[in-house]
Amino acid sequence: MSLRSVRWAGALLGFAGVALTVLFHWQVFFWVPTEASMGIVQRIFYIHLPAAWVAFFAFGIVALCSAVYLWLGEEKLDHAARSAAEGGMIFTTIVLTSGPLWARLAWGTWWTWEPRLTLTLLLWFIYLGYFLVRSSTENRERSRKFAAVVGIVGALNIPLIHMSVLWFRSLHPQPVVARTDGPQLHPDMATTVFTALGAWTLVFLSLFLLRYGVARMEAEAERLEAAEASARPLGEQGVVTP
Amino acid sequence: MMRYLRQVLTIAGKDLRVELRTRERVAAMGAFVVLTAVLLNYAVDRTVIHPRELAAGMIWIVITLAGLLGLGRTFELEKEDGALEGLLVAPVPRDALYLGKVLANAALLGAIAALTLGVFALFFQLTLPRNPLPLIGVILVGTVGFVALGTLFSGITAGSRMGETLLPILLFPLLVPLITFGASATASLLAGFPPEEAVYSLRVLAAFTLVALTAGVGLFRFIVED
Repeated sequence: MSLRSVRWAGALLGFAGVALTVLFHWQVFFWVPTEASMGIVQRIFYIHLPAAWVAFFAFGIVALCSAVYLWLGEEKLDHAARSAAEGGMIFTTIVLTSGPLWARLAWGTWWTWEPRLTLTLLLWFIYLGYFLVRSSTENRERSRKFAAVVGIVGALNIPLIHMSVLWFRSLHPQPVVARTDGPQLHPDMATTVFTALGAWTLVFLSLFLLRYGVARMEAEAERLEAAEASARPLGEQGVVTP
Repeated sequence: MMRYLRQVLTIAGKDLRVELRTRERVAAMGAFVVLTAVLLNYAVDRTVIHPRELAAGMIWIVITLAGLLGLGRTFELEKEDGALEGLLVAPVPRDALYLGKVLANAALLGAIAALTLGVFALFFQLTLPRNPLPLIGVILVGTVGFVALGTLFSGITAGSRMGETLLPILLFPLLVPLITFGASATASLLAGFPPEEAVYSLRVLAAFTLVALTAGVGLFRFIVED
């Protein structure tokens, strides 16, 4: 895809995503019926769940692009992995803020070692390591490879981490855990969830494409700068000619 | 195959010989283990809880931290006098280089893990199981898994500006399976339950180690400079 079409697609998806985001917030605040047992606080769920879905989706893209990058060595794939990771970090942060807000009222505690909670927190730190590796490695080529390795190993470990946190919790059952799987989901609730899911998927894809465009322009600018620097006569490069 | 094995053993032998002559890492890690156990004794209020009850988990935490201390040095050592360049031009595949380093680190950390177990048994009056083999197995498998991931990541941190400070951030989120199942198996064995109770945990530990080793063998070539 040309850079131009990437940016256009990003902008269009962004407008659609924002429109749907406004729509689903209207649904959440004014339209959807209040859940019987949890009350008003259950509405956080419509923000929380799509964010979690997008965060995991983003991590999948990071791992996939990283693996193919190592295989083919195509720089664009690294830009894609990095852009997806940045989007994933945003949505993981949304999950980690909205979750405890809900849990405080529904479970009576800000934090509990609930498996998905724990997994998301660890995911956030894996992303953090991914960015720190990138920013603290001077050599571009190497920083890309390092980050790709971190992205892949992180993704490989997700199933095992998930297994551990599940198993750990089954050993220590929580006394008060709200069950969401009691009654069937009301059709209006399902509609709201799917609107929200669509909205944030579009927002993520838009951010992803726009960031990817910027990454490509950055790389291009760097190349031009380097080419220009080497084309200048020695005296202007700061080298004193005798 | 034999050739490959010999290459792995040569790399591991080289690393262990360096360690045997300097004894720097062993001394640092060994002292760390003993001193952490001493500090733990004073950190815990004995009228509320006996350190023995925390032993299984603490053993794994201490092994992890001591391992971190030693692993960070794996590639720092090779930075001197262009030793790494020498290794890389040697006619050895990159994965053999990785496995050799893992083997040497595992031998080192395995000894430290044994010391940790001994120190905890001595300081906190643990009753070691009559048949120590299952416990040794659990600690050995866990140690290899930890070292497999740690060696791969220490290759990354050695090439970055942050160096060893980056290692825990990369490593710890991925160690949850190791700590969960390592500590649970250790606790069950130390409590004198039959070894069959620890089989499931040992299996997950083995899966973790296998994943870590596979990832390391496959990905190590990308993190050492060509």
